Amino acid sequence: MWSFIVRRLLIMIPMMFFISVICFVITELQPGDFVSQYLDNPRISPAQIELLRKNLGLDEPAYVRYWNWIKGIVTRGDFGYSFAFQRPVGELIWERMGWTIFVALGAIVFQWLLAVPMGIYSALHPYSPGDYTLTVIGFVGLSIPDFFMALILMYLMLKMGATSIGGLFSPQFVGAPFSFAKLIDLFKHLWVPLVVVGMSGLAGLMRVMRGNMLDIISSPFITSLRAHGLDEKTVKRHAIKNALNPMVSIAGTELPNVFSGTIITAIVLNLPTMGPFFYNALLNHDQYLVMSFLMFIAIITQIGNLLADIALAVLDPRIRMS
Amino acid sequence: MKRIFLVILVSLCAVMVFAAPFVEDTLLTPDKNPKMGGTLYLALTGAPQSFNFYGTLDNNAYTVAGQMLTGLVEAHPVTSAIRPALAESWEVSENNKEVIFHLRDVNWSDGAPLVADDVIFTFKYFIMNPVARGNSVDRFTIESQPIEWVKIDDKTVKAILPAPYAAFFTVLSHAYIYPSHALDSKIDKSRPDSVNDVWLTNTPPSEIPANGPFILSEYIVDQKVVMTRNPNYWKVDVFGNKLPYVDRVEYLVVSDAQVRLAKFMAGELDYMAVSGADFPILKERELAGGPFKVFLAEPTQPTPSPVHIAFNFDTANPKLKELFMKTEFRQAMEYALDRERIIDEVYNGLAVLGGVPVLPSNKAFYNPKIEEIRRPFDLAKAAEILDSLGLKDVNGDGLREFPDGSKFEFVLTVQNSPQDYQDIAYIFSQDLLSIGVKVNLQILDSSLTGQMFGAGSFEAGIRAFGNQPDPQLRKAIWQPGTQLYYWHRTTRDPETNTAIFDNMLDWEKRVYDLFEKGQVAMDPAIRKTFYDEWQEIYAEYLPVIFVCKGMNLYAANKALGNVEQNAEGLLSYASWTVFKK
Repeated sequence: MWSFIVRRLLIMIPMMFFISVICFVITELQPGDFVSQYLDNPRISPAQIELLRKNLGLDEPAYVRYWNWIKGIVTRGDFGYSFAFQRPVGELIWERMGWTIFVALGAIVFQWLLAVPMGIYSALHPYSPGDYTLTVIGFVGLSIPDFFMALILMYLMLKMGATSIGGLFSPQFVGAPFSFAKLIDLFKHLWVPLVVVGMSGLAGLMRVMRGNMLDIISSPFITSLRAHGLDEKTVKRHAIKNALNPMVSIAGTELPNVFSGTIITAIVLNLPTMGPFFYNALLNHDQYLVMSFLMFIAIITQIGNLLADIALAVLDPRIRMS
Repeated sequence: MKRIFLVILVSLCAVMVFAAPFVEDTLLTPDKNPKMGGTLYLALTGAPQSFNFYGTLDNNAYTVAGQMLTGLVEAHPVTSAIRPALAESWEVSENNKEVIFHLRDVNWSDGAPLVADDVIFTFKYFIMNPVARGNSVDRFTIESQPIEWVKIDDKTVKAILPAPYAAFFTVLSHAYIYPSHALDSKIDKSRPDSVNDVWLTNTPPSEIPANGPFILSEYIVDQKVVMTRNPNYWKVDVFGNKLPYVDRVEYLVVSDAQVRLAKFMAGELDYMAVSGADFPILKERELAGGPFKVFLAEPTQPTPSPVHIAFNFDTANPKLKELFMKTEFRQAMEYALDRERIIDEVYNGLAVLGGVPVLPSNKAFYNPKIEEIRRPFDLAKAAEILDSLGLKDVNGDGLREFPDGSKFEFVLTVQNSPQDYQDIAYIFSQDLLSIGVKVNLQILDSSLTGQMFGAGSFEAGIRAFGNQPDPQLRKAIWQPGTQLYYWHRTTRDPETNTAIFDNMLDWEKRVYDLFEKGQVAMDPAIRKTFYDEWQEIYAEYLPVIFVCKGMNLYAANKALGNVEQNAEGLLSYASWTVFKK
């Protein structure tokens, strides 16, 4: 087990190196650089643009910039600094981490709490009106783009006379010390992103759960459990336990979604998360910020997969690490 | 004894006059019963990248800094007239080359007095520092010589100009004064670019003293910027109340325009600029009894930037190049431009014809004569001129050819957002097609079009630059031989950054001269004659063809006092004079 984990961790190193090269090449392919956005600003002279380009090191050839960046990471743990904010990238990402994790975990929990029972119910009552209804709800969520759903929800709220739209708090509660009123205000806002983000993944999860459950229910060991005279409740418990296995692997891949999956929705809903921040960095050619963010997503994806594998091994005695 | 008493009385009066606060213009304080206190909620379109005005090129940072800091002089928020700010008064020398500023007896928000050293410090390390990101070296350099600042005493500074400089006070209104007592120890004087590292977004607000109406009090990352009133602000209203009226200004960071609109309608924002597309829905709601007022104001602001169409005099195709340089061709293009339809269909009727490019509301510089020169939409006339230039349909395919029989077509490059640019390009190209001119639209991302225009690699293009009250501030665009005169780049030598007169057309040489003269003439009437002629030349020769200018549209919550529109259509609003009813 331990040798497996160590090996997987070691594989991550060359993997991250390749990913860093790919990220760098992609950001380089984007036409222009950070200072090109100032080219048509009459307040900024061409001389100043050249000076800025030089100060930011953008006049260096690409491979030199890549080397400096990688060197900084390896030798000092320094991921570079944001051209726009003139502050270390790590610091900027860290500042936005809290709400990002909060909202995304909330959405995932919401999604799973709904999807798993819905999938189980559908599988236990296949082709019943209940099954069809749940499937329709799931697919409606899947087929409506999440940002559009966000706009519709905001429109409806506005129609119904809501006094606070978007964001996580009403203006007066943003930054206010924690209080019961603030918590209530948070819940008043939080349900929109939870529903919007949650609904989009609901159908997929539910269908997987339903399919697994149907497979398991018709498998011989369930028949054998029943033949042993176990009551139906216990049989179901065993079926659900077995059907959850593939869900664990899915859970591992959910981890990167926590950070990157909701960019457009977060912009539309005005959430103070990393998504809109990353989007702006992309538009502004804030290269080190973009690359660090991509690298972060890459490492999170790998860690998520590793955790899922470990969890599977722990949960399912049939799986052995080798 | 009597004499001593008199002296004391006179000096007391002098002190009182000296310490007299600035009484705000009643144009901004029309309401006779203002209420004190409350919070003004406004929106930022993105998180500020810094709080250092001279250390960033970010507009949201500028918005926040504009509440905290003031310059020696300021532009009236409604009329743009220059008026005293941190300098209480000034004297200009006979030869117009020296200005002595007397500083107001005010304190920074942290209690330290405002002194001449602050002015010297700001110019030396920030404004005139070429590696400060938001420096203004160009604006304070005349004939390649910087303006020199000299301290006379603690409350007096002198500016020595290398030559008379008419726009001096206008550029000075954008030069916010920084606190030397708070920043002197924070910058590394051996490393000039260290000035960019102060007042970043992680700076504790207490380290940022203010001399403007508000003080930064809190920044919640990506969510809001909280500002509280500066108790040492030096303006009072005509009734003797200290300004600003509101206790706090809170800027909510809302990057999506639709969400800003929704937040405004839900009452979360008190005041905001509105786009032409959103105006109808807001107006409808207002008339249906919504809790806000929508204002349609005569354009006075730089934005929305007025769109123009440019034909590249240096384009690679020699036949197109020859044609684009012909004044008659560009005049034909103006005849083919249906401005009325564009205003109606693209801007919902919420735009004016604008100037070339001085706005009609700009009393100091607008030349109404251009209205007579401006060519109305007349396709027959356009076709006639094209015929006379030898561009005729010889092969009968409905499209015109060059006199040598080769195909006549050009590419019109336009950025993909804002949408109006594309819409204008489409309408223009369709009208041209109807008279046999084939226009190929090339719609690209704005960063790409910006580079193409900058490098001169385009045939025709649609672009926009914001208006400024003083043409001098737009010299870098409209004077031939400057970096943004992008449709005729060969008038400038990029190596030496100087104009190449041999490559200029005659009227371009005249425009060049007019800008040089306008820069140094001090008499407003004489300056106006120079810029009047410039506008006439632009209207006649059309280096670029101005389309129209979007109006200034604003919406204000009805609970906000002192937001009013005057008879001339100008809207009065300032953060320090509005109040919550």
